Amino acid sequence: MKKRYDVIIIGGGVIGCTLAYFLSRASIDVALIEKGDIASGTSSGCDGNILISDKQPGVDTFLTRESQKLFEQLSFDLPYDFEYMQRGSLLTIESKEEMEIASSFVEQQKKDGYPFRIISLDTLKAQEPHVADDLLGAVEIDCDSAVNPMLFSFATAKKAGENGVDILKDCSVRNINLGKSGGVKEVVTDLGTFRTEKVVNCAGVWAPEIGKMVGINIPIKPRQGQLLVTETTFQVVKRKVMEFGYMMAKFGSGEYKRDVSPDLEKLGIAMVIEPTMSGNFLLGSSRAFVGFNKTISIEVMQGIVRRMVRFFPALRTVNIIRAYAGLRPYVEDHLPIVSAVDRVPGFFIAAGHEGDGIGLAPITGRIMQELLLDKEPPVPFEHLSFSRFK
Amino acid sequence: MGRENDDLIICRCEEITLGEIRQAIKYGAVDCTGVKRRTRAGLGFCQGRTCEVLVQRIIAQEIGKKPSEIAPSNDRPPVRPLLIKVLEGKEE
Repeated sequence: MKKRYDVIIIGGGVIGCTLAYFLSRASIDVALIEKGDIASGTSSGCDGNILISDKQPGVDTFLTRESQKLFEQLSFDLPYDFEYMQRGSLLTIESKEEMEIASSFVEQQKKDGYPFRIISLDTLKAQEPHVADDLLGAVEIDCDSAVNPMLFSFATAKKAGENGVDILKDCSVRNINLGKSGGVKEVVTDLGTFRTEKVVNCAGVWAPEIGKMVGINIPIKPRQGQLLVTETTFQVVKRKVMEFGYMMAKFGSGEYKRDVSPDLEKLGIAMVIEPTMSGNFLLGSSRAFVGFNKTISIEVMQGIVRRMVRFFPALRTVNIIRAYAGLRPYVEDHLPIVSAVDRVPGFFIAAGHEGDGIGLAPITGRIMQELLLDKEPPVPFEHLSFSRFK
Repeated sequence: MGRENDDLIICRCEEITLGEIRQAIKYGAVDCTGVKRRTRAGLGFCQGRTCEVLVQRIIAQEIGKKPSEIAPSNDRPPVRPLLIKVLEGKEE
Protein backbone atom coordinates (compact mmCIF):
# COMPACT_ATOMS: atom_id res chain seq x y z
CA MET A 1 0.00 0.00 0.00
CA LYS A 2 1.31 3.42 -0.98
CA LYS A 3 0.36 6.94 0.11
CA ARG A 4 0.04 8.20 -3.42
CA TYR A 5 -1.21 6.63 -6.66
CA ASP A 6 -1.30 7.79 -10.26
CA VAL A 7 -4.76 6.26 -10.66
CA ILE A 8 -7.30 4.97 -8.15
CA ILE A 9 -10.04 2.68 -9.45
CA ILE A 10 -13.21 2.52 -7.37
CA GLY A 11 -15.08 -0.76 -7.69
CA GLY A 12 -13.86 -4.35 -8.01
CA GLY A 13 -16.49 -5.64 -10.40
CA VAL A 14 -15.74 -6.76 -13.91
CA ILE A 15 -15.22 -3.19 -15.20
CA GLY A 16 -12.79 -2.13 -12.47
CA CYS A 17 -10.84 -5.41 -12.57
CA THR A 18 -10.45 -5.38 -16.35
CA LEU A 19 -9.30 -1.75 -16.28
CA ALA A 20 -6.86 -2.60 -13.45
CA TYR A 21 -5.38 -5.36 -15.59
CA PHE A 22 -4.90 -3.09 -18.63
CA LEU A 23 -3.37 -0.33 -16.49
CA SER A 24 -1.08 -2.83 -14.77
CA ARG A 25 0.82 -3.18 -18.03
CA ALA A 26 1.76 0.53 -18.00
CA SER A 27 4.44 1.78 -15.64
CA ILE A 28 2.20 3.74 -13.27
CA ASP A 29 1.05 3.23 -9.66
CA VAL A 30 -2.53 1.99 -9.49
CA ALA A 31 -4.85 0.96 -6.66
CA LEU A 32 -8.22 -0.73 -6.95
CA ILE A 33 -10.57 -0.11 -4.02
CA GLU A 34 -13.49 -2.47 -3.45
CA LYS A 35 -15.99 -2.23 -0.59
CA GLY A 36 -16.50 -6.01 -0.41
CA ASP A 37 -14.96 -8.92 -2.31
CA ILE A 38 -14.03 -8.95 -6.00
CA ALA A 39 -17.11 -9.60 -8.17
CA SER A 40 -19.49 -9.53 -5.22
CA GLY A 41 -22.12 -7.22 -6.77
CA THR A 42 -23.58 -7.27 -10.25
CA SER A 43 -20.65 -9.28 -11.65
CA SER A 44 -21.80 -12.34 -9.70
CA GLY A 45 -25.52 -11.74 -10.18
CA CYS A 46 -25.51 -12.09 -13.94
CA ASP A 47 -24.77 -14.38 -16.84
CA GLY A 48 -21.58 -14.30 -18.88
CA ASN A 49 -22.62 -13.36 -22.38
CA ILE A 50 -20.67 -11.38 -24.92
CA LEU A 51 -23.36 -10.94 -27.52
CA ILE A 52 -23.81 -8.78 -30.54
CA SER A 53 -27.14 -10.53 -31.17
CA ASP A 54 -29.05 -8.39 -28.69
CA LYS A 55 -27.46 -5.04 -29.51
CA GLN A 56 -28.87 -2.10 -31.40
CA PRO A 57 -27.27 -1.64 -34.81
CA GLY A 58 -24.50 0.95 -34.86
CA VAL A 59 -22.25 1.92 -31.96
CA ASP A 60 -23.76 -0.63 -29.54
CA THR A 61 -22.95 -3.55 -31.87
CA PHE A 62 -19.57 -2.13 -32.88
CA LEU A 63 -18.30 -1.79 -29.30
CA THR A 64 -19.40 -5.31 -28.41
CA ARG A 65 -17.76 -6.80 -31.49
CA GLU A 66 -14.49 -5.04 -30.58
CA SER A 67 -14.86 -6.41 -27.05
CA GLN A 68 -15.36 -9.94 -28.40
CA LYS A 69 -12.01 -9.72 -30.18
CA LEU A 70 -10.35 -8.51 -26.99
CA PHE A 71 -11.84 -11.40 -24.98
CA GLU A 72 -10.39 -13.86 -27.45
CA GLN A 73 -6.99 -12.23 -27.03
CA LEU A 74 -7.36 -12.20 -23.22
CA SER A 75 -8.13 -15.92 -23.24
CA PHE A 76 -4.56 -16.38 -24.50
CA ASP A 77 -2.92 -13.58 -22.48
CA LEU A 78 -4.28 -14.26 -18.99
CA PRO A 79 -2.71 -17.22 -17.18
CA TYR A 80 -5.98 -18.10 -15.39
CA ASP A 81 -8.89 -19.92 -16.97
CA PHE A 82 -12.18 -18.04 -17.17
CA GLU A 83 -14.23 -20.55 -19.20
CA TYR A 84 -14.13 -18.59 -22.45
CA MET A 85 -16.21 -20.18 -25.18
CA GLN A 86 -17.18 -19.01 -28.61
CA ARG A 87 -20.22 -20.97 -29.66
CA GLY A 88 -22.40 -18.32 -31.30
CA SER A 89 -25.99 -17.58 -30.42
CA LEU A 90 -29.54 -17.91 -31.72
CA LEU A 91 -32.59 -15.65 -31.54
CA THR A 92 -35.76 -17.69 -31.96
CA ILE A 93 -38.56 -16.28 -34.10
CA GLU A 94 -42.12 -17.23 -33.21
CA SER A 95 -44.40 -15.12 -35.40
CA LYS A 96 -44.63 -13.61 -38.88
CA GLU A 97 -44.34 -10.14 -37.42
CA GLU A 98 -41.16 -11.10 -35.61
CA MET A 99 -39.84 -12.59 -38.83
CA GLU A 100 -40.41 -9.27 -40.62
CA ILE A 101 -38.70 -7.21 -37.92
CA ALA A 102 -35.88 -9.78 -37.67
CA SER A 103 -35.34 -9.73 -41.44
CA SER A 104 -34.78 -6.00 -41.61
CA PHE A 105 -32.64 -6.15 -38.44
CA VAL A 106 -30.47 -8.87 -40.01
CA GLU A 107 -30.18 -6.93 -43.28
CA GLN A 108 -28.99 -3.86 -41.40
CA GLN A 109 -26.43 -5.85 -39.38
CA LYS A 110 -25.17 -7.67 -42.49
CA LYS A 111 -24.77 -4.37 -44.30
CA ASP A 112 -22.60 -3.20 -41.40
CA GLY A 113 -20.47 -6.32 -41.87
CA TYR A 114 -21.62 -8.55 -38.99
CA PRO A 115 -22.18 -12.31 -39.37
CA PHE A 116 -25.99 -12.44 -38.98
CA ARG A 117 -28.26 -14.79 -40.93
CA ILE A 118 -31.78 -16.18 -40.75
CA ILE A 119 -32.15 -19.95 -40.57
CA SER A 120 -35.26 -22.06 -41.16
CA LEU A 121 -37.02 -24.14 -38.54
CA ASP A 122 -35.51 -27.30 -40.06
CA THR A 123 -31.99 -25.96 -39.75
CA LEU A 124 -32.76 -24.73 -36.24
CA LYS A 125 -34.16 -28.16 -35.28
CA ALA A 126 -31.08 -29.86 -36.66
CA GLN A 127 -28.89 -27.67 -34.43
CA GLU A 128 -31.12 -27.55 -31.37
CA PRO A 129 -33.45 -30.58 -31.36
CA HIS A 130 -35.30 -29.52 -28.21
CA VAL A 131 -36.87 -26.31 -29.55
CA ALA A 132 -40.65 -26.17 -29.92
CA ASP A 133 -42.07 -27.39 -33.24
CA ASP A 134 -44.14 -24.31 -34.02
CA LEU A 135 -41.34 -21.75 -34.33
CA LEU A 136 -40.59 -20.10 -37.67
CA GLY A 137 -36.82 -20.19 -37.47
CA ALA A 138 -34.07 -18.14 -35.87
CA VAL A 139 -31.41 -15.52 -36.33
CA GLU A 140 -27.97 -17.11 -36.09
CA ILE A 141 -24.84 -15.20 -35.06
CA ASP A 142 -21.58 -17.14 -35.16
CA CYS A 143 -19.21 -14.79 -33.37
CA ASP A 144 -21.05 -14.57 -30.03
CA SER A 145 -19.19 -15.87 -27.02
CA ALA A 146 -19.37 -16.25 -23.24
CA VAL A 147 -17.22 -16.35 -20.13
CA ASN A 148 -17.66 -17.14 -16.46
CA PRO A 149 -17.97 -13.54 -15.19
CA MET A 150 -16.67 -14.27 -11.70
CA LEU A 151 -13.64 -16.21 -12.91
CA PHE A 152 -12.93 -13.47 -15.45
CA SER A 153 -13.03 -10.80 -12.72
CA PHE A 154 -10.81 -12.91 -10.46
CA ALA A 155 -8.39 -13.61 -13.32
CA THR A 156 -7.96 -9.95 -14.27
CA ALA A 157 -7.72 -8.80 -10.63
CA LYS A 158 -5.19 -11.51 -9.79
CA LYS A 159 -3.00 -10.72 -12.80
CA ALA A 160 -3.26 -6.98 -12.09
CA GLY A 161 -2.14 -7.68 -8.52
CA GLU A 162 0.81 -9.73 -9.73
CA ASN A 163 1.76 -6.85 -12.03
CA GLY A 164 1.87 -4.46 -9.07
CA VAL A 165 -1.65 -3.01 -8.71
CA ASP A 166 -2.70 -2.74 -5.04
CA ILE A 167 -6.05 -4.51 -4.71
CA LEU A 168 -7.68 -3.19 -1.52
CA LYS A 169 -10.71 -5.28 -0.60
CA ASP A 170 -13.24 -4.73 2.20
CA CYS A 171 -12.39 -1.06 1.91
CA SER A 172 -15.11 1.55 1.35
CA VAL A 173 -14.54 4.96 -0.13
CA ARG A 174 -15.77 7.55 2.38
CA ASN A 175 -15.06 10.72 0.47
CA ILE A 176 -13.16 12.29 -2.39
CA ASN A 177 -11.42 15.57 -1.62
CA LEU A 178 -10.95 18.13 -4.37
CA GLY A 179 -8.07 20.59 -4.57
CA LYS A 180 -8.29 24.39 -4.81
CA SER A 181 -8.59 24.24 -8.59
CA GLY A 182 -11.55 21.84 -8.30
CA GLY A 183 -9.67 18.74 -9.45
CA VAL A 184 -9.32 15.38 -7.69
CA LYS A 185 -6.79 15.49 -4.83
CA GLU A 186 -7.43 12.70 -2.31
CA VAL A 187 -9.53 9.59 -1.77
CA VAL A 188 -10.57 8.97 1.84
CA THR A 189 -11.14 5.27 2.61
CA ASP A 190 -11.48 2.80 5.47
CA LEU A 191 -7.78 2.06 5.08
CA GLY A 192 -6.63 5.67 5.09
CA THR A 193 -6.38 8.67 2.77
CA PHE A 194 -4.59 8.31 -0.55
CA ARG A 195 -3.31 11.14 -2.71
CA THR A 196 -4.14 10.90 -6.38
CA GLU A 197 -5.01 13.14 -9.29
CA LYS A 198 -7.07 10.55 -11.17
CA VAL A 199 -10.03 8.54 -9.95
CA VAL A 200 -12.12 6.17 -12.08
CA ASN A 201 -15.63 5.49 -10.84
CA CYS A 202 -16.32 1.84 -11.79
CA ALA A 203 -18.95 1.36 -9.10
CA GLY A 204 -21.79 0.21 -11.38
CA VAL A 205 -25.17 0.63 -9.69
CA TRP A 206 -23.36 2.40 -6.83
CA ALA A 207 -21.66 4.89 -9.18
CA PRO A 208 -24.16 7.68 -8.33
CA GLU A 209 -23.08 7.49 -4.65
CA ILE A 210 -19.46 8.04 -5.64
CA GLY A 211 -20.53 10.82 -8.03
CA LYS A 212 -22.21 12.69 -5.17
CA MET A 213 -18.84 12.89 -3.39
CA VAL A 214 -17.62 15.23 -6.11
CA GLY A 215 -20.97 16.98 -6.56
CA ILE A 216 -22.18 15.40 -9.78
CA ASN A 217 -25.37 13.56 -10.59
CA ILE A 218 -24.80 10.28 -12.47
CA PRO A 219 -28.06 9.04 -14.03
CA ILE A 220 -27.68 5.30 -13.36
CA LYS A 221 -30.37 3.28 -11.63
CA PRO A 222 -30.59 -0.41 -10.69
CA ARG A 223 -32.70 -2.59 -12.99
CA GLN A 224 -33.16 -5.91 -11.30
CA GLY A 225 -33.00 -9.23 -13.13
CA GLN A 226 -33.56 -12.76 -11.86
CA LEU A 227 -32.02 -15.98 -13.15
CA LEU A 228 -32.68 -19.65 -12.47
CA VAL A 229 -30.10 -22.43 -12.51
CA THR A 230 -30.97 -25.96 -13.60
CA GLU A 231 -29.38 -29.15 -12.37
CA THR A 232 -26.77 -30.69 -14.68
CA THR A 233 -28.84 -32.59 -17.19
CA PHE A 234 -29.15 -33.54 -20.89
CA GLN A 235 -27.89 -31.01 -23.43
CA VAL A 236 -30.95 -28.78 -23.60
CA VAL A 237 -29.10 -26.35 -25.91
CA LYS A 238 -25.60 -26.30 -27.34
CA ARG A 239 -25.31 -22.53 -27.50
CA LYS A 240 -26.95 -19.43 -26.14
CA VAL A 241 -30.59 -19.18 -27.26
CA MET A 242 -32.98 -16.32 -26.64
CA GLU A 243 -36.25 -15.20 -28.08
CA PHE A 244 -36.16 -12.41 -30.63
CA GLY A 245 -38.68 -10.63 -28.41
CA TYR A 246 -35.89 -10.21 -25.81
CA MET A 247 -34.89 -7.11 -27.73
CA MET A 248 -38.37 -5.70 -27.24
CA ALA A 249 -38.20 -6.29 -23.49
CA LYS A 250 -34.81 -4.63 -23.37
CA PHE A 251 -35.32 -1.62 -25.59
CA GLY A 252 -39.12 -1.20 -25.59
CA SER A 253 -41.06 -2.64 -28.45
CA GLY A 254 -42.48 0.10 -30.64
CA GLU A 255 -45.63 -1.15 -32.36
CA TYR A 256 -45.17 -4.89 -32.08
CA LYS A 257 -46.46 -6.85 -29.07
CA ARG A 258 -45.49 -10.42 -28.28
CA ASP A 259 -48.28 -12.91 -27.65
CA VAL A 260 -47.67 -13.11 -23.89
CA SER A 261 -49.81 -12.54 -20.80
CA PRO A 262 -49.92 -9.04 -19.27
CA ASP A 263 -48.14 -10.49 -16.22
CA LEU A 264 -45.14 -11.59 -18.26
CA GLU A 265 -45.05 -8.23 -19.99
CA LYS A 266 -45.20 -6.40 -16.67
CA LEU A 267 -42.35 -8.46 -15.19
CA GLY A 268 -40.25 -7.83 -18.31
CA ILE A 269 -39.84 -11.55 -18.93
CA ALA A 270 -38.14 -12.78 -22.08
CA MET A 271 -36.72 -16.25 -22.72
CA VAL A 272 -32.98 -16.70 -22.47
CA ILE A 273 -31.11 -19.96 -21.94
CA GLU A 274 -27.36 -20.24 -21.58
CA PRO A 275 -25.30 -23.42 -21.36
CA THR A 276 -22.43 -23.19 -18.87
CA MET A 277 -19.12 -25.01 -18.73
CA SER A 278 -20.26 -26.79 -15.56
CA GLY A 279 -23.19 -28.45 -17.36
CA ASN A 280 -25.94 -26.42 -15.68
CA PHE A 281 -28.17 -24.12 -17.71
CA LEU A 282 -29.03 -20.55 -16.77
CA LEU A 283 -32.63 -19.55 -17.46
CA GLY A 284 -33.89 -15.98 -17.64
CA SER A 285 -34.78 -13.22 -17.90
CA SER A 286 -36.64 -10.46 -16.08
CA ARG A 287 -36.42 -6.69 -15.77
CA ALA A 288 -37.78 -4.49 -13.00
CA PHE A 289 -37.06 -1.18 -11.31
CA VAL A 290 -37.31 -2.08 -7.62
CA GLY A 291 -34.46 -0.07 -6.17
CA PHE A 292 -31.68 -2.15 -4.64
CA ASN A 293 -34.00 -5.05 -3.83
CA LYS A 294 -32.49 -8.42 -4.78
CA THR A 295 -35.25 -10.61 -3.38
CA ILE A 296 -36.28 -13.54 -5.57
CA SER A 297 -40.00 -13.55 -6.26
CA ILE A 298 -42.03 -16.66 -6.97
CA GLU A 299 -44.01 -14.73 -9.63
CA VAL A 300 -40.85 -14.04 -11.59
CA MET A 301 -39.54 -17.61 -11.17
CA GLN A 302 -42.87 -18.93 -12.41
CA GLY A 303 -43.01 -16.39 -15.25
CA ILE A 304 -39.54 -17.36 -16.42
CA VAL A 305 -40.27 -21.11 -16.51
CA ARG A 306 -43.64 -20.58 -18.21
CA ARG A 307 -41.94 -18.60 -20.98
CA MET A 308 -39.08 -21.11 -21.05
CA VAL A 309 -41.23 -24.21 -21.67
CA ARG A 310 -43.04 -22.42 -24.51
CA PHE A 311 -39.73 -22.62 -26.40
CA PHE A 312 -38.26 -25.75 -24.77
CA PRO A 313 -41.06 -28.08 -23.61
CA ALA A 314 -38.51 -30.78 -22.73
CA LEU A 315 -37.33 -28.66 -19.80
CA ARG A 316 -40.45 -29.65 -17.81
CA THR A 317 -38.68 -32.72 -16.42
CA VAL A 318 -35.60 -30.77 -15.29
CA ASN A 319 -35.02 -29.44 -11.76
CA ILE A 320 -34.30 -25.86 -10.76
CA ILE A 321 -31.65 -25.92 -8.03
CA ARG A 322 -31.07 -22.22 -7.49
CA ALA A 323 -32.36 -18.74 -8.24
CA TYR A 324 -30.52 -15.46 -7.89
CA ALA A 325 -30.92 -11.80 -8.73
CA GLY A 326 -28.61 -9.06 -9.89
CA LEU A 327 -28.87 -5.31 -10.38
CA ARG A 328 -28.09 -3.98 -13.83
CA PRO A 329 -26.69 -0.44 -13.88
CA TYR A 330 -29.27 1.04 -16.22
CA VAL A 331 -28.88 4.24 -18.24
CA GLU A 332 -31.85 5.58 -20.15
CA ASP A 333 -30.23 5.45 -23.61
CA HIS A 334 -28.83 1.92 -22.99
CA LEU A 335 -25.24 3.05 -23.53
CA PRO A 336 -22.58 3.04 -20.81
CA ILE A 337 -20.80 6.13 -19.55
CA VAL A 338 -17.08 5.85 -20.35
CA SER A 339 -15.84 9.36 -19.96
CA ALA A 340 -13.92 12.11 -18.25
CA VAL A 341 -16.00 14.65 -16.34
CA ASP A 342 -15.22 18.17 -17.54
CA ARG A 343 -16.39 19.88 -14.36
CA VAL A 344 -14.16 17.79 -12.10
CA PRO A 345 -10.67 17.41 -13.58
CA GLY A 346 -9.25 13.98 -12.83
CA PHE A 347 -12.64 12.34 -12.24
CA PHE A 348 -13.56 9.60 -14.73
CA ILE A 349 -16.59 7.33 -15.05
CA ALA A 350 -16.75 3.79 -16.46
CA ALA A 351 -20.20 2.56 -15.43
CA GLY A 352 -23.79 2.17 -16.56
CA HIS A 353 -23.48 -0.89 -18.81
CA GLU A 354 -26.95 -2.24 -17.92
CA GLY A 355 -26.88 -5.95 -18.86
CA ASP A 356 -23.76 -5.68 -21.01
CA GLY A 357 -21.05 -5.05 -18.43
CA ILE A 358 -19.33 -8.40 -18.85
CA GLY A 359 -19.37 -8.17 -22.62
CA LEU A 360 -18.22 -4.57 -22.76
CA ALA A 361 -15.61 -4.77 -19.98
CA PRO A 362 -12.53 -5.16 -22.22
CA ILE A 363 -13.41 -2.39 -24.68
CA THR A 364 -14.37 -0.16 -21.74
CA GLY A 365 -11.01 -0.91 -20.12
CA ARG A 366 -9.12 -0.13 -23.32
CA ILE A 367 -10.92 3.20 -23.90
CA MET A 368 -10.44 4.24 -20.28
CA GLN A 369 -6.79 3.16 -20.26
CA GLU A 370 -6.03 5.51 -23.16
CA LEU A 371 -8.06 8.37 -21.65
CA LEU A 372 -6.11 8.04 -18.40
CA LEU A 373 -2.77 7.94 -20.18
CA ASP A 374 -3.74 10.96 -22.32
CA LYS A 375 -3.67 8.94 -25.51
CA GLU A 376 -6.19 8.40 -28.29
CA PRO A 377 -8.66 5.57 -27.50
CA PRO A 378 -8.70 2.69 -30.02
CA VAL A 379 -12.32 3.29 -31.08
CA PRO A 380 -14.60 6.33 -31.30
CA PHE A 381 -16.19 6.89 -27.89
CA GLU A 382 -18.05 10.21 -28.07
CA HIS A 383 -21.43 8.43 -27.72
CA LEU A 384 -20.33 7.30 -24.27
CA SER A 385 -19.49 10.76 -23.02
CA PHE A 386 -20.85 12.02 -19.69
CA SER A 387 -21.59 15.39 -21.31
CA ARG A 388 -24.50 13.82 -23.25
CA PHE A 389 -26.58 14.26 -20.08
CA LYS A 390 -27.72 17.72 -19.26
CA MET B 1 0.28 -26.47 -2.47
CA GLY B 2 1.02 -30.08 -1.79
CA ARG B 3 -0.30 -29.99 1.76
CA GLU B 4 -1.65 -32.94 3.67
CA ASN B 5 -5.03 -34.25 2.42
CA ASP B 6 -5.16 -31.71 -0.40
CA ASP B 7 -6.83 -34.25 -2.68
CA LEU B 8 -9.65 -34.96 -0.22
CA ILE B 9 -13.03 -34.21 -1.81
CA ILE B 10 -15.04 -31.72 0.27
CA CYS B 11 -17.90 -30.76 -2.08
CA ARG B 12 -19.09 -34.09 -3.43
CA CYS B 13 -21.61 -32.68 -5.91
CA GLU B 14 -18.99 -30.63 -7.74
CA GLU B 15 -15.97 -32.73 -6.73
CA ILE B 16 -14.07 -29.84 -5.20
CA THR B 17 -11.02 -30.80 -3.14
CA LEU B 18 -9.57 -29.46 0.07
CA GLY B 19 -6.58 -28.20 -1.93
CA GLU B 20 -8.78 -26.17 -4.25
CA ILE B 21 -10.59 -24.64 -1.31
CA ARG B 22 -7.31 -23.78 0.41
CA GLN B 23 -6.11 -22.14 -2.80
CA ALA B 24 -9.30 -20.03 -3.03
CA ILE B 25 -8.68 -18.86 0.54
CA LYS B 26 -5.11 -18.04 -0.36
CA TYR B 27 -6.44 -15.93 -3.24
CA GLY B 28 -8.68 -13.92 -0.95
CA ALA B 29 -11.89 -15.80 -0.09
CA VAL B 30 -12.85 -15.08 3.53
CA ASP B 31 -16.33 -16.60 3.68
CA CYS B 32 -18.38 -19.43 2.16
CA THR B 33 -19.69 -17.20 -0.64
CA GLY B 34 -16.14 -16.22 -1.57
CA VAL B 35 -15.08 -19.88 -1.74
CA LYS B 36 -18.19 -20.77 -3.72
CA ARG B 37 -17.59 -18.11 -6.37
CA ARG B 38 -13.97 -19.15 -6.81
CA THR B 39 -14.34 -22.95 -6.74
CA ARG B 40 -18.03 -23.92 -7.19
CA ALA B 41 -17.99 -25.68 -3.78
CA GLY B 42 -21.64 -25.58 -2.71
CA LEU B 43 -23.06 -24.89 -6.17
CA GLY B 44 -24.05 -28.45 -7.05
CA PHE B 45 -27.27 -30.40 -6.72
CA CYS B 46 -27.40 -30.14 -2.89
CA GLN B 47 -26.44 -26.43 -2.91
CA GLY B 48 -23.96 -26.78 -0.08
CA ARG B 49 -26.31 -28.49 2.32
CA THR B 50 -23.71 -31.21 2.83
CA CYS B 51 -20.38 -29.40 2.52
CA GLU B 52 -21.01 -25.89 3.77
CA VAL B 53 -20.23 -26.66 7.41
CA LEU B 54 -16.97 -28.29 6.31
CA VAL B 55 -16.10 -25.30 4.13
CA GLN B 56 -16.80 -23.00 7.06
CA ARG B 57 -14.42 -25.02 9.25
CA ILE B 58 -11.69 -25.06 6.60
CA ILE B 59 -11.83 -21.27 6.18
CA ALA B 60 -11.76 -20.82 9.96
CA GLN B 61 -8.72 -23.07 10.25
CA GLU B 62 -6.85 -21.40 7.38
CA ILE B 63 -7.37 -17.80 8.50
CA GLY B 64 -7.29 -18.45 12.25
CA LYS B 65 -10.85 -17.67 13.28
CA LYS B 66 -13.71 -19.60 14.86
CA PRO B 67 -16.10 -21.39 12.46
CA SER B 68 -18.97 -19.31 13.89
CA GLU B 69 -17.19 -16.15 12.72
CA ILE B 70 -17.17 -17.31 9.08
CA ALA B 71 -20.19 -16.10 7.12
CA PRO B 72 -22.22 -18.89 5.52
CA SER B 73 -23.18 -18.48 1.87
CA ASN B 74 -26.29 -16.52 0.93
CA ASP B 75 -29.53 -18.49 1.09
CA ARG B 76 -31.14 -18.89 -2.31
CA PRO B 77 -34.48 -20.41 -3.25
CA PRO B 78 -35.70 -23.05 -3.89
CA VAL B 79 -35.15 -24.85 -0.58
CA ARG B 80 -34.82 -28.14 -2.44
CA PRO B 81 -34.61 -28.95 -6.17
CA LEU B 82 -37.89 -28.12 -7.86
CA LEU B 83 -39.15 -29.64 -11.11
CA ILE B 84 -39.92 -27.04 -13.74
CA LYS B 85 -43.33 -28.55 -14.44
CA VAL B 86 -44.21 -28.15 -10.76
CA LEU B 87 -43.07 -24.54 -10.70
CA GLU B 88 -44.94 -23.92 -13.94
CA GLY B 89 -48.05 -24.75 -11.96
CA LYS B 90 -50.40 -26.04 -14.64
CA GLU B 91 -51.49 -29.51 -15.64
CA GLU B 92 -50.56 -30.47 -19.17
